[in-house]
Amino acid sequence: MDLQLSAAHLHFRNELRAWLAANLPRPWREELRDPRATETSLIELRRAWQKKLYQAGYLGMDWPEQWGGRGGTEVEKSIMEAELARADAPPILNILGIGLLGPALIHHGSEAQRRRFIPPMLSGDEIWCQGFSEPGAGSDLAALKTAARLDGDHFVLNGQKVWTTFGPWADWIFVLARTDAKDRYGGISFLLVKLDTPGVSVRPLRQITGESEFGEVFFEDARVPREHLVGQTGEGWRIAMTVLGYERGVGSLANSARYGRDLAQLAAACKELGRTGTAVREKLGRLVVENEVMRANGIRALANLADGRAPGPESSLEKLYWSEFDKRFRETALDLLGPGGQLLRSSPAARADVDWAREFLWSRAGTIYSGSSEVQRNIIAKRVLNLPQDAR
Amino acid sequence: MKFELSDDQALLRSSTRDFLARACPFEASRRTMEHDSRGYDSALWQGLAEMGYLGLTVPARAGGQGLGTVELAIVLEEMGRACLPGPYLDVVLAATLLAAAGGQDALLADLAAGKTVVTIAREEAAFAGSPGVPARFEGGRVRGTKYFVPFAAAADGLLVPTRDGVCLVQKPLAVTALATLDPGQRFGEVRLDHAATLVGPPGLLERVDLVAAVGAGAMLLGIMARLLEMTIAHVQTRQAFRRPIGAFQVLQHRLADMLLKTESTRSAVYRAAWCLDTSDADAALACAAAKAYAGDAARLVCGEAIQMHGGIGFTWELDLHFYFKRAKTLEQHYGSTESQLERALAAAGY
Repeated sequence: MDLQLSAAHLHFRNELRAWLAANLPRPWREELRDPRATETSLIELRRAWQKKLYQAGYLGMDWPEQWGGRGGTEVEKSIMEAELARADAPPILNILGIGLLGPALIHHGSEAQRRRFIPPMLSGDEIWCQGFSEPGAGSDLAALKTAARLDGDHFVLNGQKVWTTFGPWADWIFVLARTDAKDRYGGISFLLVKLDTPGVSVRPLRQITGESEFGEVFFEDARVPREHLVGQTGEGWRIAMTVLGYERGVGSLANSARYGRDLAQLAAACKELGRTGTAVREKLGRLVVENEVMRANGIRALANLADGRAPGPESSLEKLYWSEFDKRFRETALDLLGPGGQLLRSSPAARADVDWAREFLWSRAGTIYSGSSEVQRNIIAKRVLNLPQDAR
Repeated sequence: MKFELSDDQALLRSSTRDFLARACPFEASRRTMEHDSRGYDSALWQGLAEMGYLGLTVPARAGGQGLGTVELAIVLEEMGRACLPGPYLDVVLAATLLAAAGGQDALLADLAAGKTVVTIAREEAAFAGSPGVPARFEGGRVRGTKYFVPFAAAADGLLVPTRDGVCLVQKPLAVTALATLDPGQRFGEVRLDHAATLVGPPGLLERVDLVAAVGAGAMLLGIMARLLEMTIAHVQTRQAFRRPIGAFQVLQHRLADMLLKTESTRSAVYRAAWCLDTSDADAALACAAAKAYAGDAARLVCGEAIQMHGGIGFTWELDLHFYFKRAKTLEQHYGSTESQLERALAAAGY
């Protein structure tokens, strides 16, 4: 057991810290509370930041150089994510492209697809959204009905996707579509679709935060060139499972850095408000403890990566931990702050430190997206604990 | 960077598991817990000495192995798994205090050899919040009353923290037994008016408190790991409605939560142990977090284990309740959850 970063990783981390100190204009929380900020201006700011990271060689960290990556390791990628969180850098705009589609193309794409799609994905010139969920296919993803019928050298796409994060601003969407109605898993294929294709339309959906970060995407006889099929016809489910493994991946270290910062603000607020009684201290103490344990989970995951142990189904434990913690944290923050914690950012009386009301509302999303807590528990029960097939 | 145990550490784990399986199978522990008035077995205690467990963290100059907190956590996790009764952790903590004080090598050697048993007498009140009378050390004598003194009736000596420093008293001691719900741990109320020698300043307890937090956390981890195994085995064999009850999603999801708590405790305990061994700046926060989290996690895991076993889980016959009771002792002593939360806040600067 040795939880210290190796000399090479320490060097990498220190170099990155110095680069961030010199290149990050200001922390993301300050951008968010700038009165001139709009949804669009923040998107453009994130695009510019992503480009800067890309040009400095900090994106596509563990992807091969020949496709525009850095040729580094997953350990360096995890260190980078933790450092970005620690510095409070703007979130990477093309997170779905880089986080999900990139690994899919590297593992299953053609050489032409990798050369065509990876560089603009990393630079932020092409933003991707994810077309998996449908009105009738959420946790039961394989129930999806969007159909792709081969017609000459095109697929003709019909159907609807929903909860499509970044749909309203994206340029492209990667879609799971049914190419065989009779084969539940083997009848699904993975397609890349440009959102300005005739027959494709995007409608924003308003979320409980009032924002429209996600939307619906409709396909009506949309023609998709056959070369935009990833892998073979019928391999979509297998590719999607690779991709979702990455999505659940190792983020506890970065998450605990982010929560740690908000916790420091909450503790300072409690002190300032004179909230120092034992009931308050106990609540605050549990948040500190649970966040510290998340950090220990993150250090363990990083050490396992460095030790050559690829994360398996137990990465569902990490997703379950942080997303359930997030809800407790944000609920407790409102308890401790009182009614003032519910003030919207637009209210002059709202606290400037953290947008507590928005974070509270947002915390309801984490246990639903990217495999709900129920799906994560199913994965743990079957693939880690090897419990029998369930009777529902 | 590596979270997994080194070869030596893995060997320590497997040899400890083998030793405990041989020297104290559950039936033997049960006999001790049910019938032994001292609460531990002398032959087993000598075995622990001969195998080097009693001197695990005692410096080599005093006849110990001089190993670190990670190794201690490995051993204590196994003792938790075995539901080992007795003062092992209490004696390790006394040794930690004596080693920190310096000049106590002869006594440390006796502790490591199993020739003498010394524990620390901390509590000055039986119930939380009731004002105790602080023990005093004046004119070569220590006076006061201590509660919940671990294995006081069997101890040859006690380390007694007072506001004037930590001092050492020898038996005979005036002990009134305090029988609690946990037969794996024996406590006594001790009235002190004894000649005593000063061991060192009260600050010696700082290190002891950190080791206590990690040590109790490691035992709680072992208890949780064992109960999770027992419960998984039970739900896979117990049939209801013509299927193993482990096929019901309502139990599967709760078992997933039990694993989450157990494995998160593992991350926290071993990281805390490593931080202590490397004098990491985060050690105080990591130790407090590990103990507080382990206590909360054990409530869930032990409680669910009983619930999923059903009626048999509420019987004296099944081993489960001994673990459940050990867990409650470990949660409330060695720095209660309430005190660890305050320590965590202080360490974080809040």
